[in-house]
Amino acid sequence: MIIIGENIHVIAKDVSVAIRERNAKVIQGLTKEQTQSGAHYIDVNVGPMKKDTEETMKWLVNCVQEATNLPLSIDTMNPVAMEAGLKYCKKRAIINSASGKTESKAQMLPLAKKYNANVVISVMTDKGMPPEVESKIESIMETVAHANDLGIPNEDVWVDPIILPVSTAGEGQNIAVGNLEFIKILQDVIPGVKSTVGLSNISNGVPAHLRPILNRTYLVMLARNGLYSAIADPLDEELMAFMKGELPKITDLIYRTMDGEEVDLSSLPQKEVAYVKTARVLMAQSLYSDAWLEI
Amino acid sequence: MMEYKAPKEAYKGVVREVTIGKGDKTMKVGGENILPLHFFDEGSLPNPPKFVLEVLDMEPADKTPHLLEPFGDAISDPIKWAKKCEGFGVDAICLSLVSTDPAEKDAPADGAAQLVKRMLGEIKKPLIVYGSGDEKKDAEVLTKVAQVCAGENLLIGPVQKENYEVVGKAILDNGHVAIAQSPLDINLLKELSVKLCKFLPPEKVVIDPLSSALGYGIEYSFSLIERVKQIGVITKDSMTMMPIIANLGDECWKTKQAKENKTQGLLWEGMTALSLYLAGANILILRHPETLKLLKETIGR
Repeated sequence: MIIIGENIHVIAKDVSVAIRERNAKVIQGLTKEQTQSGAHYIDVNVGPMKKDTEETMKWLVNCVQEATNLPLSIDTMNPVAMEAGLKYCKKRAIINSASGKTESKAQMLPLAKKYNANVVISVMTDKGMPPEVESKIESIMETVAHANDLGIPNEDVWVDPIILPVSTAGEGQNIAVGNLEFIKILQDVIPGVKSTVGLSNISNGVPAHLRPILNRTYLVMLARNGLYSAIADPLDEELMAFMKGELPKITDLIYRTMDGEEVDLSSLPQKEVAYVKTARVLMAQSLYSDAWLEI
Repeated sequence: MMEYKAPKEAYKGVVREVTIGKGDKTMKVGGENILPLHFFDEGSLPNPPKFVLEVLDMEPADKTPHLLEPFGDAISDPIKWAKKCEGFGVDAICLSLVSTDPAEKDAPADGAAQLVKRMLGEIKKPLIVYGSGDEKKDAEVLTKVAQVCAGENLLIGPVQKENYEVVGKAILDNGHVAIAQSPLDINLLKELSVKLCKFLPPEKVVIDPLSSALGYGIEYSFSLIERVKQIGVITKDSMTMMPIIANLGDECWKTKQAKENKTQGLLWEGMTALSLYLAGANILILRHPETLKLLKETIGR
């Protein structure tokens, strides 16, 4: 599993202040921590970045690269900021992200060819988010075909099915199940493409102390279905341990729950019980509530 | 020609049967293992939905004449009002302690509890008691009601996430049934059930998902009630297998359409109630006796 370290994110207050004040120490600290924890890419999420775009991106990209040998993932919806960042990337970067929206196809996708970069392409279209697995597949096939026409090979495309919070009234759980299915069939539909997800979004809106177990369990499930990479928190040691195969027993329990087996909880230690319960919620076998571990 | 055989479903979940009241003043709700009105499936509905009229503990601030007219002078005396309601053929009486609301008269808990006790002595039907909905004040008022009427097995609410520990415990300690209320969200609804049932037996809980009136968000209430029933009956989710109470009368009579004229008001309340009945509500609380009559004629009871 390729982990794209998510911690340089403009929504985090310390990061946005550090960028504004050109505080290299904070940015490089986060970069080094993620590098040492085993991340494979460093995501640089700058949001829309409408002001001082060129100069800020130059400073930020160089600042990160001084602290790591890892390649970067430039994370913005603004093509101007994207290009400004790509210009300074020393290694083959990821464009994070393009989509099936007309504007994105016209302005973002061509940058992948121009800068010989990988590109995350989400299933979004001008109509918004396709509601079903089938419509997501349909939309991504169209957009990837367009990318191919621009000279971008499947191997450089990282498909993103878009993860939504599992806790949103009712539908969240069905979407979580749908995305597992999506990842499972992706290779058959578009051979050679890679895949990625914004993992932490699965637990958005959930009390902070309960978020990691949702993130980890869902990543184990996605990985089983063939997910290639995830934008995630490499500082979560347990998450990384799962990805290195160091927790085979819990992984097996999660797989068995995915397969619909009614795992007997009475004989299991508390920690393993929590993972089984979490897998049940993510498979929509049991209705979500913030108290899912307490039942 | 092949003979057509209608598919017949059998579900594994059973809505818990909850008893309200005691002695000869009891009613049972829930107990079904079929979806609402799916009498063609395997299973049964042992306790048909119950219809309740609501009485306020003070003279109504809203003087809509066609709403108050059936009760005459009784509206100035909650006990007389309740007795009038019994004459209209209700399954139970709901007493709303609106006067305790800090935004109304902020009436003290003691007086409210004494009124509940007096009413219990006078009426022949089971009693449902609703506080004002103010979480802080309800913690005081509903606790007092539970204590003063200990052992009467009243249906008391709303128990909300902000006060469930205090009110839930008073309900448990004094032998009553709780109305667990959450704001129109199935995930929050389940969370409150889980938390309450850590100390309260689940057969002592009725769910109030909040009922909106026709034209004012009834779609949300409808699909939520429907979903709670489906998840309970079809997937056997223990924390949604509770009977559902739809407290809709007041919501309907707040609308300008209901206030405008009588026929419109009756239809507004009637259509709201009928819709939530179809969705699967086990207890329906109304304000107008003619709506009750209309519903009974429509449903055929």
